[in-house]
Amino acid sequence: MISYLGQGLVLLALVVCAVGAPVGFVAGARRSPEGLRLARGLALAFAALMVLANLAMEWALLTHDFSVKYVALVGSTATPTHITIVSLWSSLEGSILFWGLVLGLYTAGVAILQRRGHEDYLAYTLGTILAVGVFFTYLIAGPADPFGLLDPAPADGPGPNPLLQNHALMIVHPPMLYLGYVGMTVPFAMAVAALLRGQLGPTWLRPLRNWLLVPTAFLTMGVMLGGWWSYEVLGWGGYWAWDPVENASFLPWLTAIAAVHSAIVLQRRGTLKAWTVILVMITFLLTILGTFLTRSGVVNSVHSFTQSPIGPVFLAFLGVAMIAVVVLLAMRVDTLTTEPARETLVAREGAFLLNNLLFVAFMLTVLVGTLFPIAAEAVRGTKVSVGEPWFNRMSVPISFGLLLLIGIGPALPWGRSDGAALRRALLWPLPAALAALGLTWLLGGRAGPVLLTGALAGYALWVTVDHGLRPTRTRMKKGEGPAQAFGTSFRRAPRLIGGYLTHFGVIVTFVAIAVSSSFQTSGEGVLSLGSGSLAVGGYELTLDDVGVVEEPHRTVRQAEVAVARGGRTLGTLAPSLNHYDTQREPIGTPAVRTSLTHDLYLTLMNVRGDGTVGLRAIVTPAVLWIWIGVFIMTAGTGLCLLSPRPARVPAVSRAAALDGAEAAS
Amino acid sequence: MKPRVLVLAVGALLTIPVIVFLAIGLRHDPHQIDSPLIGKPAPPFALADLEGNVVRLEDLRGTPVLLNFWATYCVPCVAEHKTFMTGERVLGERLRLLGVIYHDETSLIRRFLEQRGEWGRTLVDPGSQVAIAYGVYGVPETYLIDAEGIVIDKITWPLVTPEHLFAWLGQHGLAR
Repeated sequence: MISYLGQGLVLLALVVCAVGAPVGFVAGARRSPEGLRLARGLALAFAALMVLANLAMEWALLTHDFSVKYVALVGSTATPTHITIVSLWSSLEGSILFWGLVLGLYTAGVAILQRRGHEDYLAYTLGTILAVGVFFTYLIAGPADPFGLLDPAPADGPGPNPLLQNHALMIVHPPMLYLGYVGMTVPFAMAVAALLRGQLGPTWLRPLRNWLLVPTAFLTMGVMLGGWWSYEVLGWGGYWAWDPVENASFLPWLTAIAAVHSAIVLQRRGTLKAWTVILVMITFLLTILGTFLTRSGVVNSVHSFTQSPIGPVFLAFLGVAMIAVVVLLAMRVDTLTTEPARETLVAREGAFLLNNLLFVAFMLTVLVGTLFPIAAEAVRGTKVSVGEPWFNRMSVPISFGLLLLIGIGPALPWGRSDGAALRRALLWPLPAALAALGLTWLLGGRAGPVLLTGALAGYALWVTVDHGLRPTRTRMKKGEGPAQAFGTSFRRAPRLIGGYLTHFGVIVTFVAIAVSSSFQTSGEGVLSLGSGSLAVGGYELTLDDVGVVEEPHRTVRQAEVAVARGGRTLGTLAPSLNHYDTQREPIGTPAVRTSLTHDLYLTLMNVRGDGTVGLRAIVTPAVLWIWIGVFIMTAGTGLCLLSPRPARVPAVSRAAALDGAEAAS
Repeated sequence: MKPRVLVLAVGALLTIPVIVFLAIGLRHDPHQIDSPLIGKPAPPFALADLEGNVVRLEDLRGTPVLLNFWATYCVPCVAEHKTFMTGERVLGERLRLLGVIYHDETSLIRRFLEQRGEWGRTLVDPGSQVAIAYGVYGVPETYLIDAEGIVIDKITWPLVTPEHLFAWLGQHGLAR
């Protein structure tokens, strides 16, 4: 029953998209208001159908309707209800259906929120989104159909992938990532609309910036939550390994950040048109490439669900999208090349350009590293991985360049300025850099990269705080109290504060990554009940108990480890090894004791029959600050979405004030 | 060069290799670890079972052989154990099943077999010589050797149910 209902809804959505896409393009070309109205109606219908199809699947999951193929695949009467709800995105078919839901919600968002202020472009934008919708609804209807009918229906299912049932982060990571990934369709559609229209006006740029910021913020969270999950669940003590699936989420993030910055320059100086459009388009293509890589089975990763039939379809879509982008860019190349000559490179716009170059270089590095094994296999028949050293060697210098730019970029004035002013702007934060360098040395940092991080972070921190609070200080000089001055500055230019808050979060995360990867200590040892202890980073670890728990789908071997420091008992940690019937290697669940300064991370390497365990303990400083920094980044990006509220001014200069405040941020 | 032509040229230069490489990559299964033994004669061995009776691989020519490496500490092997017991009952003389103990103690193996029953012949591999010859890197690992003594396939995932076993044998024309 639900099977037919779901298939019906998806097929209807496919028809709606297939009609809506050409309607949007024709309405755009003819500038027809009726056509636009129809396209908007179809966009909303698509959204509604996707919501209903997802509700149908949730209904089937919750009622354990095993006649629905996807439910038989990931459902189980033994699974707790909250896991059953989120198992919508625990496997391939369901996650593509969920993709449809997110795309539907974004489509409705554009159709409703951009009803005004994007008129010249909206029909093309919706047409493009619905064209992407054709592909995804086709996937859901055909190659990745989750609603297939099983007759006779099995009595029970295996439950979702055990790895995904282990931690609460798995409940939030996929939706965040999807909101980021799928959301990149909107700026892409707007870029296509601009090229088709042949102009990049203000009613294009302002919506573009907002619709670029929203998925970028979600993607930032999604990438971080993925790393956090891998740290808390996978048990190797790290949070980033340059795994293809991590790279897949990181690639569009890099170009999205570059695009956000590029759009600022376009808004402020009218330059970097081609950069902005191309970066936005590449970001979208990278989301498709990333999904293809991780979902098709081309590369092996946590996310590839075996050889799946969607690979060729995804590749075809990627090919068509790439060709369409190239042809469109070639057709409209004149739209993008009417940039005024650059005044000077030693100015903020120069820093932005360098920022774009570094981000693109970073993206290409990661892309080459990710695709190299596939290319090597295509040419030589064997997979050769470039491995972590390649990524680290390439990404560390680029990251330092970016940290340097967070410092000097905002310090530089816009446009041409005389040498003395430049020197003043750049030398003013130097004492902060030297102070941070000294502090790093005092805290025990001796290695070159650590000291460099300290100095650059100090410089960047000074510039960020200084510039972020500059309007507040100006107001305070005029006699306002600090709170009032900050409040007014914030209301006038929330984007300025948001931008610098984001930079502040980046600096926090950067320093935390540098510290956590430089000052890790670890130890391994064999512990048995009542004898032997392991000392790591000031902690003494002894074995309290070893237990075996038989659960329906797995056998859990758990060790209770007593943690003490300086003779004082701090409690117990219980890392475990989980043996699943369907998996050859046991999956370890680490136990982590987190504090503001450092984490104690325990993993079991083995549990022997005689009650001895092999234990690995890792003490890593500052890990918590990586996540905190990302939360700050996300909050800052959120502030950038707020509209500035101008002071009470005459209506004539109101628009000018609005533009000024926006440009300032 | 006109900008339009330039964009097309650069675009084609970036697009075509990516698509071609990905299309080729799509034809390989990254989960599959190919064994260099496939299509070659199976490394010969003579191993004693738990009672000390020696089994020679050459003596089994004329019947396909399923060679499984397992251990008691391997949780998926427990599921496979039932699979092989069912498989042996169904297939009878049409397939010989050999289990080679991988890094385990015979006392534990004996207790395991007493509790759960036996299938085929359980062979002791002193010094893991046979496991090394076959390139085993973990358990379970299962090889299929045809009647002429040629290795036809190797899998590194567990045959959790008899259906998995029969499906796998079916791929090689060995099912019921």
